[in-house]
Amino acid sequence: MQLPEGLVAVVKQDCPTCVLVDPVLREIETRGVPLTVYVQDDPAFPSVSRIVDDRELEHSYRLDIETVPTLIQVADGRETRRVVGWERAEWEALSGLPALGAGLPGYRPGCGSKSVEPGIAERLTLRYGGVKFAAREVVLGALEDDIEYCFERGWSDGLPVVPPTPERVLRMLAGTRRAADEVLGAVPPQHAPVTVTKVAINAVMAGCKPEYLPVVIAAVEAALDPAFCLHGLLATTWFSGPMAVVNGPVREAIGMNWRGNVLGQGNRANATIGRALQLVVRNVGGGRPQEADQAAFGTPGKLGFCFAEDEATPWRTLGEDRGVARERSAVTLFSADGPIGVADQKSRAPEPLIESIAGTLRAIDHYKMVNAADVVIVVGPEHGRVFDQAGWSKAETAAALHVATHIEGRDLAMGTDPAAVASAAADLRPKFREGGIHLVRAGGDAGMFSAIIPGWLVKGTLGTDPVTREVTP
Amino acid sequence: MQDIRELDGRGIPGGYIASDVFKTAALTQGEAAGFHPDSLFVPHPIQDRTDEEMAALAEAAFENVLALIRAAP
Amino acid sequence: MTTTLLDPTGELDPVHRQPLAKPGSLDGLTVGLLDISKARGDVFLDRLETLLDDRGITVKRYKKPTFTRPAPLTLIQQMASEVDVVVEGLAD
Repeated sequence: MQLPEGLVAVVKQDCPTCVLVDPVLREIETRGVPLTVYVQDDPAFPSVSRIVDDRELEHSYRLDIETVPTLIQVADGRETRRVVGWERAEWEALSGLPALGAGLPGYRPGCGSKSVEPGIAERLTLRYGGVKFAAREVVLGALEDDIEYCFERGWSDGLPVVPPTPERVLRMLAGTRRAADEVLGAVPPQHAPVTVTKVAINAVMAGCKPEYLPVVIAAVEAALDPAFCLHGLLATTWFSGPMAVVNGPVREAIGMNWRGNVLGQGNRANATIGRALQLVVRNVGGGRPQEADQAAFGTPGKLGFCFAEDEATPWRTLGEDRGVARERSAVTLFSADGPIGVADQKSRAPEPLIESIAGTLRAIDHYKMVNAADVVIVVGPEHGRVFDQAGWSKAETAAALHVATHIEGRDLAMGTDPAAVASAAADLRPKFREGGIHLVRAGGDAGMFSAIIPGWLVKGTLGTDPVTREVTP
Repeated sequence: MQDIRELDGRGIPGGYIASDVFKTAALTQGEAAGFHPDSLFVPHPIQDRTDEEMAALAEAAFENVLALIRAAP
Repeated sequence: MTTTLLDPTGELDPVHRQPLAKPGSLDGLTVGLLDISKARGDVFLDRLETLLDDRGITVKRYKKPTFTRPAPLTLIQQMASEVDVVVEGLAD
């Protein structure tokens, strides 16, 4: 960028240091050094003769001004040196003028440049920074309402989405260090490629903050792992949708909820991260209800289902179970129906509590069905305390539940002739496959309950397995 | 035209018929609304035509009217 | 001032909203004819109705109160529940 010869100063009137040095700028000009002053707010402010109105902040943006006043030395049209704030020695060096600014203190720091104020910085980047998004631009008609537009285009899950303007998407992309055009995979059923940018756009629509984006990206990556079987889960007639459980320091950093109403509404991170994943499935993948999504009922969780684990218990965390150290953050994706409550407000020892939970577990999907879905059990604090006080680890608890959910053979015949049922063998069969019971700690302090969340009926190599992905910044 | 857009949004395909003086207005409206419905233009003027002339216009336009509501074979 | 949004989709469809696809055949379907209440429009639509009727196509007639405003919501809702395709006219 070609600059005027001599000195360039960038100031704003709304800055005490700029007001302080205005006489110095006049002095520089009077003493014969060529000087141009760029002003960010009030062109009438500087008392020199050569003023550039930079209220559009284009010059400030291109000159990368972060502080005002900034004094820049220019030779052959290009910057050679700059000083930020008022410092007599530096200003004398740049101007070549001794004894500048008599009566002023030797040093005063500057103020923030208008060009880096939040909101403005992104706007300037978009206007002057030559930003190219890895996504089509859609220009709305003059009469179109932006929120209605998103509904009409089918981009919404039924609730209003935040219209994904370039500014919002740029701000969202700042939430990750990953490249905006990095391809994460192809989303079924349309198998369109999904980039970090596409995730960011849908995250904006979901209402995420930029700091949630790494978690959303991890959830999308987990969903695209072939082991998760996203296409099958989407297309099934069964209830299930994806459910994301978050572990590690990111939970606290972004303010997730693992306490009261953990599976319900009200927490922005919980609500919008799950929603962003589903919007990617819908918009990038093209998976929509009564089309590729053939769910007979679905669940309210298909608007979004995401929560954090309570890691302040004696139990290993889900993340640790899945091979991720406590200090690292991760998302584990499960298939999930809606939650079923287990009330046990009497048991003070693990064994009867195991039997209480097992009783409900034996009936999920069908009370005579074995080897059906995997299950996630969210153990509330009051139930957790029963296990903790008896010294039962998570692994021991899961093992006990596995044993307690064996069903006698003659119970297995569904809808058949009772005579045939009576003659079937009475051997015990496990309700769940090995490793099919996943325990997670979360929930409100008051309430001697746990939540059972069954998964998709089709699992393993023929269906879905839980998948864990680390959250990367 | 807004009516066609509204009905389209409710699952009812179709189109509208206007006299040809409307061509430019239709384009502008379409841009503003972000939606260009299928349309058919008949010769202007309309207001002063006799019943026989209107019937003849309808006959002449009929195949194109069908194209507003039925996919090409 | 127009708004620009970034496309959240897989970009397999055209950028702008496209009109719905038309049915392949009108057999068994009901055609709605919506009169916008401009002069002579009804005569035009009468003729269209006859021509459709001659081909055994079911027609329902509707009329909005004034051409100056969009059709009232109740009329839209009624048409959406009673017809399969619509022709609106005649603007002049």
